[in-house]
Amino acid sequence: MQNLLKSRHIAGWLLASPLAVVLALFLVLPIVMIVIVSFWGATEFSIYPAFQFDNYEFLFGSPVTYSVFLNTFKYAAITWVFTLVIGFTVAYFLAFHVHSLTWQVALFLLCTIPFWTSNIIRMISWIPFLGRNGLANSTLISWGVIDEPLEWLLFSDFSVILTFVHLYTLFMVVPIFNTMMRIDKSLIEAAYDNGATGFQTLTNVIIPLTKPGIMIGSIFVVTLVMGDFITVRFMSGSQSANVGRLISNDIALLQYPSAAATAVVLLVTVLIVIAVLLRFVDIRKEL
Amino acid sequence: MSTPPDLELVSLTKRYGSTVAVDAINHHFHAGVYACLLGPSGCGKSSTLRMIAGHESVSDGSVVLGGADVSHLPPAKRGTAMMFQNYALFPHLSVTDNVAFSLKMKGVDTATRRKRALEMLELVDMTAQAERLPAQLSGGQQQRVALARALITQPQVLLLDEPLSALDPFLRIRMRSELKKLQRELGITFVHVTHGQDEALALADEIVVMNNAVIEQAGPAREVFNAPRTDFVARFMGGHNVVALPQGRVAIRSDRIGLTEPAQGRLDGRIVTIEYQGTAVTLNLRATGDQDIAALIPEEEFFANPLTEGATVGLTWDDAAMHPLRA
Amino acid sequence: MTNSDKTGGLNRRSVLKGAAATAAIAGTNTIGAPMIWAQNIKDITLRQFGTGVSNLNDVATKVKEDLGFTLEMTALDSDAVTQRAATQPDSFDIADIEYWICKKVWPTGNLQAMDTSKIANYDKIVGIFRDGKLTPESEIAQGTAPHTVGFVDGPGGREFVDNESGWMTLIPTIYNADTLGIRPDLIGRPIESWTELLNPEFKGKASILDISSIGIMDMAMVCEAMGEIQYGDKGNMTRDEIDATFAIFTEAKKAGQFRAFWKTFDESVNLMASGEVVIQSMWSPAITAVKSRGIPCVYQPLKEGYRSWGGGIGLSKNLSGLELDAAYEYINWYLSGWVGGYLMRQGYYSAVPETSKAFMSENEWGYWFEGKPATGDITSPTGQVMDTAGAVRDGGSFYDRMGAVACWNAVMDENQYMVRKWNEFIAA
Repeated sequence: MQNLLKSRHIAGWLLASPLAVVLALFLVLPIVMIVIVSFWGATEFSIYPAFQFDNYEFLFGSPVTYSVFLNTFKYAAITWVFTLVIGFTVAYFLAFHVHSLTWQVALFLLCTIPFWTSNIIRMISWIPFLGRNGLANSTLISWGVIDEPLEWLLFSDFSVILTFVHLYTLFMVVPIFNTMMRIDKSLIEAAYDNGATGFQTLTNVIIPLTKPGIMIGSIFVVTLVMGDFITVRFMSGSQSANVGRLISNDIALLQYPSAAATAVVLLVTVLIVIAVLLRFVDIRKEL
Repeated sequence: MSTPPDLELVSLTKRYGSTVAVDAINHHFHAGVYACLLGPSGCGKSSTLRMIAGHESVSDGSVVLGGADVSHLPPAKRGTAMMFQNYALFPHLSVTDNVAFSLKMKGVDTATRRKRALEMLELVDMTAQAERLPAQLSGGQQQRVALARALITQPQVLLLDEPLSALDPFLRIRMRSELKKLQRELGITFVHVTHGQDEALALADEIVVMNNAVIEQAGPAREVFNAPRTDFVARFMGGHNVVALPQGRVAIRSDRIGLTEPAQGRLDGRIVTIEYQGTAVTLNLRATGDQDIAALIPEEEFFANPLTEGATVGLTWDDAAMHPLRA
Repeated sequence: MTNSDKTGGLNRRSVLKGAAATAAIAGTNTIGAPMIWAQNIKDITLRQFGTGVSNLNDVATKVKEDLGFTLEMTALDSDAVTQRAATQPDSFDIADIEYWICKKVWPTGNLQAMDTSKIANYDKIVGIFRDGKLTPESEIAQGTAPHTVGFVDGPGGREFVDNESGWMTLIPTIYNADTLGIRPDLIGRPIESWTELLNPEFKGKASILDISSIGIMDMAMVCEAMGEIQYGDKGNMTRDEIDATFAIFTEAKKAGQFRAFWKTFDESVNLMASGEVVIQSMWSPAITAVKSRGIPCVYQPLKEGYRSWGGGIGLSKNLSGLELDAAYEYINWYLSGWVGGYLMRQGYYSAVPETSKAFMSENEWGYWFEGKPATGDITSPTGQVMDTAGAVRDGGSFYDRMGAVACWNAVMDENQYMVRKWNEFIAA
């Protein structure tokens, strides 16, 4: 009996070990490395081991850091609001207004079509569309809505957020749609039977039950936007900065310790944001 | 509540594309009756119930409650309430909040609706579990909560969609007596959909047997059981033999068939199997014209004069036991 | 040779070890008699990386044809080039880098100096890369002029020396004089000075490049032209100079002067071709790309002069023996004219122009190098017509253009400070 228990113990460990090894190797180790390097020093062309707080001192001492983090939060918050509203609406339509499974699958696939091309291509294809002489401006002019091309359509916060919303709304749609599909349809009828209006059903039944999906989608979107650098660079015409660009600039200039320090601060910030989100819903319970 | 109203179905029809689920049925449920819609799956009974509730649009005809056509009113405005097959309790709300849901929708203040909800929970004996979530309740407890939630809207008609099917057999029997008791206390109409004839017989004042989108027979439970008017009803209710006689097909209850010497009765039959059932013995016979007939003989009577498989006997019954069936 | 028998089925590294051993036994033999290893050379693969400018597959194909060995090309952007040269010395045999990158990377010791006596055309290399002077009368421009980081004191030298020591860090391959690109059709008037970049007339239609080390130079050209700042050395600014430069540009950015900043070649082409931008810092082939779309675009010579840059190939410290010999063979081939002709047809200059002449038509040589009017169609390497008979190259002849260099791309002593200021500027 004692032996059996023991071997079961060992079997359990063995079963868990591949995942543990993969996580340790590809998640924990790199993060530990980043944290370690963030205390190192750098010269023009090399880095040297040290334990100094210079990188952090500079980071927290620079007004750029604060304005860039603020900008990153701004992008994340605005993108979150738009992706949530659009993503929820799309998921709601698919889950509750499209009744045949075939159509649900077909429309869902339709949503994913843009994702058959790369992120970069989807991003860049906005540039000719929004440009000074682009389709958007020429259409608006031909309709007589505007006389002069709108400059703020491209290389602005508008274009950055538009692209973020375009790129990441699906990350909101999928988890929300998934949770909505698992809502028992008779609950909607029950609410209706109890005198709830469509809107009351939405606020009292559907939204509370969709919270886990909303949270997962929000985590996706917020982390993707906060970690992004390429979208901000392309769509702002390099004129705006977020934390990702700060890091990528440092890497480009071989300032790895400084990049690592910024990455650590960004990681901590994102984890705090997720922790705050998770306070609203216990995802594990709801899954 | 003044005198409870009657519920009438007038040429009620439901079509899904070219399929007819409910074909122009007419029925009058008297106020305060416990009615069962009985039939096999796909017979149209659930569609009928959902049309009454307002969860399914009416293709043709109308649902009339207390003299008013409610066919196009939203569910909550009809004076009906529905109890769903799986109870459809809101998983994110406590028992109290579930029960108080309709009051919240009406904008009743928190204190009042909690008080009313607790009254309802008292009615179904669930006050102890008031703060639990549905997932923490047993099947029977969930059903009581669902009942309380439906009843708090003070419906004139309570619609129950297979309410006992999710319960285990013991609980099912207990709950059905509670349902019956509750209906008596409240004095409102219950329309209960089921596919179990024993459940229908145990509960219903009135049974409406449906098959292939139409009502085969409706009437008091005893009448439907004792005097089936169609082949289908006779077979579905069970306990009946459908026998072809020169004057036509008739239904005869198995326990109304007596045994006598061969050639002495109305038909002769050879015993194929004998099954001891405790209070009675079932003889499965092959009668003239290759008809299968079951005879239920009281235990003492059978063992006073035991028979063996393969023996031929005469079968006899009273004229009154014969119920002619519609072609 | 026994060695050629050994090579079959073995990987490159083991072959090279074998080859090195053979070379050691043979002593100086290998250098004196290249034909001895000619049979092995087809097994050699040299890994070269660099910017897309000169990392051309056509060159690799031609190397295989002319020299018999394989050249693997990896094209990266200039940041990635710097990173790789500095941090991954085992990942390449030949680094194709710019001189200012060399200044950063050389101290890592990842590259080895080259013996100029093994370079057949060394004496014909343009003076810019040797004593710094294009002609004996030329003044040496500011910034990281190639000759200042072109020589070290010996094979293992880490310190740059200011004379032709015989040990070269990079063999120059390609260089050019950069200026502003403009859309003459959308501007409609002559542009003569760097100051025009900040002219409010072009509000929302100007751009500079978002590579700090080059962008700061363009900024400096503008600020100096405006008379706002007098730099001691634009290639090595003081903190005050850096602050003053960014102050002027930050103000312009906030006022909406810039449509966008660009980082890649394609971005600069698209900004210009779409008309989003009418005046911006630009690279020569980008002008070519815009023109080949049928859109007028001029590489505008400006009175303050050009910002120039140069690139060269350096050898990994890991190269030795047979492989090192192959690399020298490659360098000699590179300077022998074919590549030079190829690059000059794209608007760059070759380190040894006279050898390239043999690989260009008279019309091409006249147009690209001598600044003469074209006598026939001028086509890009891909065959598109870029200019027709009678057209003259923007800026004129080689001596006109390279003689008017005001500053070389550079890496400053205050580079780290400048980069931080650059980040501030972008975030402003």
